[in-house]
Order: sequence, then C-alpha cells, then structure tokens
Amino acid sequence: MTPEVEQAIAEIRQAFSEHTVEVQPESQGGAYIIVHSLPIGEQYTPSTSWIGFLLGFQYPHADVYPLFMDSAVRRTDGQAWGTGLSSPVCWNNRNTVQISRRANRWNPTVDTAATKLAKVLAWLRSL
Amino acid sequence: MKKPIELRIDSPLFEKLYRHLFPGDRDEHGAIIAVGIVETPRGTRLLAREVFLAQDGIDYVPGTYGYRALTARFVAEKSGYCAAENLCYLAVHCHGGEDEVGFSTDDLASHERGYPALLDITRGGPVGALVFARNAVAGEIWTPSGRFPLDRMTIIGSHIRRLYPSPQPRPRSADPMYDRHARLFGDIGQEILSGLKVGIVGLGGGGSLINQWLAYLGVGHIVAIDFDRIELTNRPRVVGSNSWDAMEWLVKRRNPWLQKLGKRFSRYKVHVARRVAKQANSSIRYAAIVGNVVDEATARHLVDADYIFLATDTIQSRLIFNSLVHQYLIPGVQIGAKVPVDRTTGQIGNIFTVTRPVLPFAGGGCLHCHELIPPDRLQEEALSESERKAQRYIEYEDIAEPSVITLNVKSAEQAVNDFLMMFAGMYQPNVVLQHQMSFVRERLTTKVDALIKEDCPHCSNGSHSRRARGDRYRLPCRRSR
Repeated sequence: MTPEVEQAIAEIRQAFSEHTVEVQPESQGGAYIIVHSLPIGEQYTPSTSWIGFLLGFQYPHADVYPLFMDSAVRRTDGQAWGTGLSSPVCWNNRNTVQISRRANRWNPTVDTAATKLAKVLAWLRSL
Repeated sequence: MKKPIELRIDSPLFEKLYRHLFPGDRDEHGAIIAVGIVETPRGTRLLAREVFLAQDGIDYVPGTYGYRALTARFVAEKSGYCAAENLCYLAVHCHGGEDEVGFSTDDLASHERGYPALLDITRGGPVGALVFARNAVAGEIWTPSGRFPLDRMTIIGSHIRRLYPSPQPRPRSADPMYDRHARLFGDIGQEILSGLKVGIVGLGGGGSLINQWLAYLGVGHIVAIDFDRIELTNRPRVVGSNSWDAMEWLVKRRNPWLQKLGKRFSRYKVHVARRVAKQANSSIRYAAIVGNVVDEATARHLVDADYIFLATDTIQSRLIFNSLVHQYLIPGVQIGAKVPVDRTTGQIGNIFTVTRPVLPFAGGGCLHCHELIPPDRLQEEALSESERKAQRYIEYEDIAEPSVITLNVKSAEQAVNDFLMMFAGMYQPNVVLQHQMSFVRERLTTKVDALIKEDCPHCSNGSHSRRARGDRYRLPCRRSR
C-alpha cells in the first residue's frame, strides 16, 4: 500500500475506533476497506450496516467514491431507493447497495477518507 | 554527487531574488534559497523551492571577516527550516560585474568555517553558496563526500535561459543540414536543442506528430512512453505507421483467431516513433519505453527531462505529468483534441482542441488549479474493467470517439512552437503562456486566464505541496506489480 493509503487507514481506525475496520490491499497500492456495524439510522432496517470502499492508489488526489453497504438493508417505510442509492451492485464479491456520493469540491490537502465516510453516514441518516 | 550540477529556478522566484540582489545601488545583498534535489546519471539538479530575502542591516550585516555576512540568527532559522522540510540550504550574495563571477577568498574561508556544521544541522544537506553577477552565477555545493562547483543555473519561464560562472565558448557551427534553423535562432539555438532531453507521453495521433517535429528540429534525446500497439484505425493518424506495423494482412481477415494474432504482433507505437525519429535525425538518442507513465519505474525516466509533452487521454497520466512538472521543475504541455458526440442522437457537438502549457509555479497553468484532474475520474480509472462494468452508473464506456489528424495538428503545432520559442528565447518579454482552446466549428481560439488555488498540492509552497521537492517526495504512481 502507498504511505498515503496507510495513513488514511490509520485515520479511519482512529475516527471509528469502536468499529472493526477490515483492510484488503489491492495490487496497485490501494486497499479495499470495510468498516463494520455503522449506525446508518432508524429509517433503515437493519439500522446498522457495514460500509465499504476502495482507497485508490492515487488517494488523496482521487475521491473516495463510490461507497457500498450491505444489500440486506431496506428502507423501513418500504419505499424504493432514491437518488444516489442503487442495488444490487456486486462489489468485492458481495451484493451491495451502491452509495454514489461524489465530492464535487474534493480537496486532497484537506479531505480524507475518514471525513468522507463521516459525511456519507450523515447524508444517509438525513434521508 | 553526479555531475554536472545545475540549479533550476522558476522565473517569478528568480525575478524576486534578482530584484533584491540588484536594486540599482551597486551594493552587496544576501538571501537564502531552500532547494530540493534529484540525482540521475545525467547529473544533479538542485530545485529552488523558496527564497528568503535577507533584510539589509537586520539579516545581512557588516561581517567580522568579510564585507558583509548573514546573521547567525537568520542562518539558524532558515537552516532549521530546511532541515525540518527536508530541503537543502543555499546562501546567496552578489558581487559587482556583469558576465563573470567567482567567490572571494573571504567567501571560501566562510564556507570552511560554517558549512561542516550546517551539513550536520541539515542532516547531510547538501548545503552551499551561490554568488551572482548581473549575468553570471557561481556556486559551491558541500556534501558529506566533498565539495563540488555549480555548473549552471536554469531559469524556467516563457524564456528558458541559463546562467554560468563565465561566458561559454562559442558553439560549434551547426550541421549544414540545419542551416535554415541557424539563420533563425543561431548555432547556439541549434546546440541548445541538441542538448535537450524531451519526454513524450502518448505516441498516438498528437504524440506522433510531436515526435517527428522534434526529431526534425534536431532535439538530441527523446524519451517516448506508450504501452499501446498500432491498430488498423490508428493508421490514418499515427505518423509513419505502415500496413506491416498494424499487421493489416492478418487483422483484416475474417477469421477472429487471425485477427487476434495480428493485434498481438502489431508493432508498439513507440517503436514506430523511434523509426520515424531516426529517419529524421540519424544521430538522435532515442529511448522507446513500452510502459505506462502511471507506473513509478516508467515515470522515473522523465525526472531529469528538460521538457515533457503529454498527449494521452487519461486523468491518471495528467496527475503524473502535473506532478513531474512541479516536483522536478520541468516545463511541459498537455495537448488534446475532443470531438463530443451525443450518444442518443449521434450529433457532433462543439469540436475543440487544447494546448495547455504548464510551468512549475503558481499561475503557470497547473492542471490541478484549472480543475483538469477530476478526483472522481481518477478513482474511476483505478477500477478494473469488471469493477467499472459492475458499478454501471459510471459514465465510462469504451466507445471510440471520432478523430482526425488535422485536429491533432492544431493542438500539437502550438505546443511545439511554444517549446521552440521558449528554448530559443524568441518570445517577446510580455508573452504569457496561457492555456489555449480552439473551437474548430466556430473557427474561434480563446485563451484561458491562469487560475491559482492557494493550497494547491502541486504548485503552491504550502507544507503539503510537492513543488521543487525532487526525489525527497513521492510521485503519485502505481506501485510496481
């Protein structure tokens, strides 16, 4: 893994210290990351899920996008997924719900994978 | 330390230093330059990142041994900064005179007194000193393994010029083949071209034109990088390619197995480019690299280039190019032509070509500041083909776009003329190398004003920026597989 990806993983472990963080290096210097048991909100059943994403080898110049969560997650009100969410999508040999949240103002000197994950969690909870 | 030793500095930084050293009072002034470093078989390059001007009477005062000296406080502060930032330390002052300069015995004695300690403070440096006359510079660089003279200084702007300790000998007469060139920019211009190492990334339509023109111009050394082979559909655009290169006799067969065989044995684009360049200039030194500039080992072929042309269509390669330009202070240009097609109606949109010079300083055309390295596109390009297909909302499809050689010419022509004018010193002093876009269907050419992001990780001097850090910073490359 590149030093930047390793640092991002350390920051994720620190920011989400109560959650298991699974890391699977990929061949170019990036890594597949899965953070387990994240609270995504009562509007979903179950209200927790893992969230996964690829940290590309050109991180932090590259955005952390898209993200994925467990395909078992449903909206509690029975509605279909709205804009930004789609399923089923196969990611890393899993069926998932894809979370498409590009950062239009991604700044590699400020934004990190940990802050992106926190923002995506906040967005999921706001729906 | 590899020789020759060259100091590279961008023109805004040089102007700042020069105005301080030569304000018109004919007195002596001082400064410190923090520099990065790169060592390759071609020599050592010191890369000026920051200039700290010593205020007269405060930081630069009457000396105990010589006429004036930097104060111990100023030296300690700036050498500490260099150590913390992993940069090298160069002290600067000026003498009178015009075209020749050297250190005085007092200067050399002060190096003996101070530099062994500074080498310790900066963890091996190198450290050193420069002395300027109005049109000359000399230097002495100290390393743990010895002292070395500075051979030259290169100033990078719309005019790329060099300063030496003393006037250089007259160049040899150029090869009679270049008589018409020499009438334009002199034997010295032809000699400059023959001494250049130029990188071309992407040897398709645009890159193959640049390759041929550089060889005709008499550029001495080309490094061509591309991993692609010639395909049948490249033939009308890749200069010098022939039916054998594309294995037309196989790929035009109906049998898919023979087609596949033909594609497998068609010639690499860089090998076609090498043949074309050698035909134009048999004495050219040519490195044909079958590879991807995104890979570190391939990108490193360019860290000591004098100029880089980027003629690819990936965002990943733009990031590497922009990083090389700023990290190693190598001017360059990105070219391209785009024919947008409406996927539903098939209508041709607003065809445009671009020529984007990038000089290694804020406001020099940095591709990051101009938002030409979209972070989401970098991420998409890092995915495998199967991942891209699975994440099907991504607007990334392998549909070939329309392309013709004359559009490539439009962007390549401006890029190579810029290159020539910069090295031959023929641009008027007020020329600013802005990005240029031509909207072909409107017959309209526009210039793009320079954009600057204060915290740019490439062209700024922020603590996270790679500018002029050379080999003491990592390129954002793919790890070797």
